[in-house]
Amino acid sequence: MTEQTGRNERRLTIARAMAEAVAQEMRIDPRVFLMGEDIATLGGVFGNTRGLVEEFGPERVRDTPISETAFIGAAVGAAADGMRPVVELMFVDFFGVCMDAIYNLMAKNIYFSGGGIKVPMVLMTSTGGGYSDAGQHSQCLYATFAHLPGMKVVAPSNAYDAKGLMTAALRDDSPVVYMFHKGLQGMGWLGTEPGATVDVPETSYTLPFGQAAVVREGRDVTIVGLAMGVHNALKAADDLARRGVSAEVIDLRTLVPLDRDTIRRSVAKTGRLIVVDEDYHSFGVSGEIIASVVEHDLRGLKAPPQRVAYPDVPIPFSRPMEQFCLPNPAKIVQAFDRMAQA
Amino acid sequence: MTDIIIPIDLWAEDREAVVTAWLARDGAEVREGDLLAEIMVEKVQHEIRAPATGRLTILRQADDIVRKGDAIGRIG
Repeated sequence: MTEQTGRNERRLTIARAMAEAVAQEMRIDPRVFLMGEDIATLGGVFGNTRGLVEEFGPERVRDTPISETAFIGAAVGAAADGMRPVVELMFVDFFGVCMDAIYNLMAKNIYFSGGGIKVPMVLMTSTGGGYSDAGQHSQCLYATFAHLPGMKVVAPSNAYDAKGLMTAALRDDSPVVYMFHKGLQGMGWLGTEPGATVDVPETSYTLPFGQAAVVREGRDVTIVGLAMGVHNALKAADDLARRGVSAEVIDLRTLVPLDRDTIRRSVAKTGRLIVVDEDYHSFGVSGEIIASVVEHDLRGLKAPPQRVAYPDVPIPFSRPMEQFCLPNPAKIVQAFDRMAQA
Repeated sequence: MTDIIIPIDLWAEDREAVVTAWLARDGAEVREGDLLAEIMVEKVQHEIRAPATGRLTILRQADDIVRKGDAIGRIG
């Protein structure tokens, strides 16, 4: 994942990687512009638009009122009219007030027009909890967006992927929902995950959608995750390795399109599957991943697949209660133990 | 040897800060002016840049609590 730069490495947080990708694209494409709450003067509450208004000015980096329906709706129109807008829905939890603009307009206008118009826009939105921000500021809702046809959905786990996926999103002619986990941003008050801050090439590059990454190879069990789940999976793999269990870890990177082949290939090798998902347990990503494997081929499975997901309850404010609910490495190891007993 | 000191005028109040990210690896060769670390005070992030050119030694890790005037690393 590293590229030789000829001098010392250049690590970026995901927040910086996102801002760099957007800035580089804005320099070469005058159609790219941003709208959102606190994205200009403040640089984004999650740091992912820092420096943009200083370089590109308030015409292209627009602070909006608290009016998601208006500015996301406006972006759909601007995209249809030839611009390439980027909008930020500050917390994905706020989707309730603007979902008509998102899934009836943004997601469907290409289809409704028979492909006659394009909707090249990026909706970036923060996900995830772990820092006691309670039930309206801590959800992931990956499956909610991945379920509805018409939107590509990406969720990076590290800064290298974050930059490449953002550049790809900006160049895509379809709407892309870019879901970034707050705990991976490198903003201390949201939690710290050093594994997300990695070497990032300064030059612009894209990462193809629909290609999962095998971030650790193993023989005995496949652990599939996205965003924060990848880091929990890697820590669980370390714990399992100390017990002589070899775990393979897959980072989905994009949910739509979903790289089912990489998952199936891995499970065919290991015979065991654990899915880690900070989104709700039922009707979600974890069920879709497991179904994608078992509807394809049951024969290679040595044990029933397991999921480590968020319980089907509103997210608690209380730190002990929230931490009790969140996926973590210990729960992944326990899931493996359940399979080993099967 | 040059210590990487948190400037005493980086923020006004007498508050603790936290190292949120190192943007260079321990032992890396860095150049004067390179962005090395981010530290946060009350949800506001500040940048720490290299005061000299040389090999970086990290003294205070991510998540560590630090104060103005502390040395968070060394360049030698």
